[in-house]
Amino acid sequence: MNVLIVEDEKSLALEINDFLGKEGYIIEHARKKASAEEKILINNYDFILLDLGLPDGDGFELLKLIKSLKNRDDAIIILTARSEVDDRIKGLEEGADDYLPKPFSLNELLARMHAVTRRKHKFERNDIKVHDFVLDIQNRAVSFDNERIHLTKKEYEILNYLVLNKNRVVSRTSLTEHVWGDILEINSDSNFVDVHVKNLRKKLSVYAKTEWLETVRSVGYRITL
Amino acid sequence: MRLQEKFTLYNAVTKLILIFVLGSIILFSLEKISIHHLDNRLLKKETKLIENLSDSEVDSLLNAQQTFTDYNILKDEFIVLTPLNNKLKVDTIAKFTTGDREIAGDIETYRILTKQFKYEDKYYELNLGTTASGALSIKKSLGMYMLIVLMVSLTVTLITDYAFTRFLLKPFYKIVDQKINKVNDPTAFDYSKIATSTADFVLLDDSINGLMKKLSDLFLLEKQFIANVSHELLTPISILNGRLENILASEKLSEEHEEKLLASLKTLSRLKAIINSLLLISKIENEQYVKTNQVNIVEEINDIYEELEERIAAKNLTYQSLLHENFVFIGNKALIHTLLMNVINNAVKYTPANGTITLTDEINTDFYRLHITDTGVGMESEILQRVFQRFARGNHDHIGGSGLGLAIANSIAKFHNITVNISSKKDAGTTVSLTFPLANLA
Repeated sequence: MNVLIVEDEKSLALEINDFLGKEGYIIEHARKKASAEEKILINNYDFILLDLGLPDGDGFELLKLIKSLKNRDDAIIILTARSEVDDRIKGLEEGADDYLPKPFSLNELLARMHAVTRRKHKFERNDIKVHDFVLDIQNRAVSFDNERIHLTKKEYEILNYLVLNKNRVVSRTSLTEHVWGDILEINSDSNFVDVHVKNLRKKLSVYAKTEWLETVRSVGYRITL
Repeated sequence: MRLQEKFTLYNAVTKLILIFVLGSIILFSLEKISIHHLDNRLLKKETKLIENLSDSEVDSLLNAQQTFTDYNILKDEFIVLTPLNNKLKVDTIAKFTTGDREIAGDIETYRILTKQFKYEDKYYELNLGTTASGALSIKKSLGMYMLIVLMVSLTVTLITDYAFTRFLLKPFYKIVDQKINKVNDPTAFDYSKIATSTADFVLLDDSINGLMKKLSDLFLLEKQFIANVSHELLTPISILNGRLENILASEKLSEEHEEKLLASLKTLSRLKAIINSLLLISKIENEQYVKTNQVNIVEEINDIYEELEERIAAKNLTYQSLLHENFVFIGNKALIHTLLMNVINNAVKYTPANGTITLTDEINTDFYRLHITDTGVGMESEILQRVFQRFARGNHDHIGGSGLGLAIANSIAKFHNITVNISSKKDAGTTVSLTFPLANLA
């Protein structure tokens, strides 16, 4: 899949480039609105990661341009440090597929991209098979042999996030941030996440083995699929 | 005492003194003048009498005291001539006295000239009297009249003084009320001038406007500064975060380095949380949130309990929710959630193992009040005073957090007109009371 990063901050673009490159994405980078416009008009992209504050214009103008093009299905994720509350709403209303405020974790970005892909391609089934379990994204439920397993909201979120980031180590920090957001003062030294993961494992292991959900040393967790 | 009352009182006292002094002077000189007139007249008559004195006249005067009064029907004047036997005590200087005399059954006040003189080797004492009651009654009625007029004018001027100073000072109170008391946020200050023709108040008004301008400029600058700084910091943090994650993904990393990287990520996430909190406060203060959601307080609290359940269980805390009211508040759902979360989370954080957290509520016609009581470590009063300040922390360095939780709670509360009261006792516990105004429901 090819991705266009529209971002004036070169270092950030490079980091995204590195990260997504390893995931097999093909990356192009535009630092200015003008060059981004050129690229957008010439190429089709699977993803456009759009920064709103560009040196020669506003990202919203690019968003409008993309949406005005016919037969285009580029998924757009807005990446911005803008603080205005309206921007998020405006961005989504103008047709962006997701909105990620800076600073964001690259894992989070990837998870959102996966989610967008799934929505875009309208998977016939919203169910994801996780070994012996089935994750029903639409109903936010987990089941085993059609039997629904009762999970708390947080436990479901953790499982969902790990599945979205399958085969990658997800650090406790990014897991906490994703599941709890960052408005809540996070006591980063607590074993808060561990307790939830422990409970999650306990609930799942009643039905089947859960070695696929592994604890990675002091880093965090990984689900292998 | 108010300036208006002081002015009126001062005017009253000075006027009273003035009236008293002036009245006394007028009455005193009036008496003096009329007595002086009477004396002069008596003296003239006496001189004329003594000059024109003849034997027959002396006789008739000595004998006809009675008939004299007959033709003086008004009893205005009298002449009494008395022969003196004692020759040694002749005093030829005229003496004036005021006294009461009875003439034909009526007692009246007379001014009397007494003079002893020698006439044809005999000594006589002459008493010449003229009535003083006219002068005295003039003094009396004039005094009375003056008193009444002055009292009336005093009352009238007092009332007008009071009304006038009230009118004069009206702009002053208006300035104090509108420009000082009612101002909560200098940025929303009303710079329109208060109508007054008094130069001093115009000066006061202008000075306050000037001061407020400076204040709100500083205030705006601070808000902008926080917003800008926070905003400018977000991109570099994003870069660092991405870079660290990329390094972490590398296979060749030693365990030691990996741990260091993870610690760095944690620090970065803490920094991010602080910046986001500051941004949140600045956004709330800039009123960038809508407050039209229906927020069911009990539902929010149940949600929060679910989120904190693990922590509460881990510390073996007793959590009691004794809420009776199904209160729905109109506000910003996410912000109210954050407010309640911060307060309840604080209670969990600062309550030692096996403690109790109790939620109670009350409602009346004006407000809904929620109490969150814990048996935690409590605070000293000096810490209590600055808990809402940014980065204010108690002496609990071992407990994590940025010190922004209550500052956020406070700005959310202010944004919604919710009053936050904290009462706390060191080592005994803390009660946070949130008062939601019912007026918001309208």
